Amino acid sequence: MPDAKLSASGICKRFGTLLALDRIDLSVPEGQFTAFVGPSGCGKTTLLRIIAGLEPATKGEVRIDGQVVDRPSSDRGFVFQTDNLLPWRNVLANARLGRELNGTMSSAELAQTRELLRLVGLEGFESHYPSQLSGGMRQRVNLARALAIDPKLLLMDEPFSALDAQTREIMQTELLRIWEQGRKTVLFVTHQIDEAIFLSDVVVVFARNPGRLKEIIEIDLPRPRVLSVKRTPRFARHVDHIWSLIEHDVRETALTT
Amino acid sequence: MSVSRRRAVKVLSIVAGILLWEAISRYVVTDNLFLASPLQVASEIVQLFLSGRMLHDLAVSSIEFVIGFGIAIVLGIALGVLMASNETAKVACEPWVQAFNATPTVALAPLFILWAGVGIWSKVMMVVIVVVFTISINTEAGMRVTSPRLIETFRSFGATRRQIFLKLSLPSALPFILAGLKLGTARALIGVVVAELFGARAGLGNLISEAAADFNMADLFAGVVVLAAIGIWLTATFSWLERRVVPWHGD
Repeated sequence: MPDAKLSASGICKRFGTLLALDRIDLSVPEGQFTAFVGPSGCGKTTLLRIIAGLEPATKGEVRIDGQVVDRPSSDRGFVFQTDNLLPWRNVLANARLGRELNGTMSSAELAQTRELLRLVGLEGFESHYPSQLSGGMRQRVNLARALAIDPKLLLMDEPFSALDAQTREIMQTELLRIWEQGRKTVLFVTHQIDEAIFLSDVVVVFARNPGRLKEIIEIDLPRPRVLSVKRTPRFARHVDHIWSLIEHDVRETALTT
Repeated sequence: MSVSRRRAVKVLSIVAGILLWEAISRYVVTDNLFLASPLQVASEIVQLFLSGRMLHDLAVSSIEFVIGFGIAIVLGIALGVLMASNETAKVACEPWVQAFNATPTVALAPLFILWAGVGIWSKVMMVVIVVVFTISINTEAGMRVTSPRLIETFRSFGATRRQIFLKLSLPSALPFILAGLKLGTARALIGVVVAELFGARAGLGNLISEAAADFNMADLFAGVVVLAAIGIWLTATFSWLERRVVPWHGD
């Protein structure tokens, strides 16, 4: 598919004797918000890390705009699960890290980064240190840091999983609000079905042992979305459907671990 | 215990200790050949400052301390960084570093005096050898505990090894390096004094050893009290430095 922003073909990943990913083929068009959901151990995070270039695939290849991915680069911004800000840097200096490492700091970039911090709701907190921020705010900094390098692809690995339920919902609407500004291509890993549906255009459901794609589901809910969409029958039907797809795997995991 | 109460107990304890010392020197060990009273020591300290002797000894000991400590910082951090960044270097250096760190190397003082004479350089050598391994052990530990999550973050931005080292590992290690320096100051002070006791023309250790030879207890205690004050001041300074330089650590 030539117009795909991202294409993964025949991705296999083996950890010792464990087949973590088995022949994954995936194509993502520009500007699409895609969620990966599945039970623990289905390889969704591993696939994201392979796309990021943080881990090599055992077989297969990932292309972004036709270019083969073999290492991390500034065309992809990664938002990690736990906040991993530098404790000795304030919010602004943390947000500029990517540009600093790429050697592309400038006064224009500084203005852009300040604007991004405003966008993620951190205006006035530029000189605060991570230890002075709440978990939700730290994840906002993480998001700003990833967006600051203006990546082609935003990769998010369960970014809200460490947050409490209320903060998590707020962050979901915030993320959508920010995403609407630029409509970047986003890959979002989560184990929460409702989070995946609420955020995404397409939900990719994984199965485990070996990790593989089970189904790719288009989410036809209109945008912009507000939290109340989670209480509509259409939303509930999506939840039921995805749950039915992964229920067996989840029960198995719950019993064996 | 409340802050004011803690402070009150502390002050009382110090005052009681000094009073006890005064009482013992008045009523128990009355012979001045064996013990000087706090009052005598205090007046002797003033005398030594006024005569210029104390300042001269202080200056000499300080120079030895500063040069030795400076060399130890540079060598210690370099060695720690080398051990943290190269597995072979670590395995090769570790037994020596551990052995030297565990050995009371002040026992080498006579050797250094034999090699470098009674001037300041034998003391500088002493300070370097007692401090350098403490600093390198702390530096290495600090570099090694760099958060794997943060390394991954740097990698995700395409950071080079050099960038990871300079912008991540080194700042991560800073609290450990400072802790090593704080430990090192106490050792360095011991190193200076012990080396001076074995042979010197000046310095606080020299003041103490000459006082001992003359059975001049007031002078001897004057030297010890001034050393104690310096030790307390150095520790306080490094604690302050830690709060200033690595405020994110430990709170």
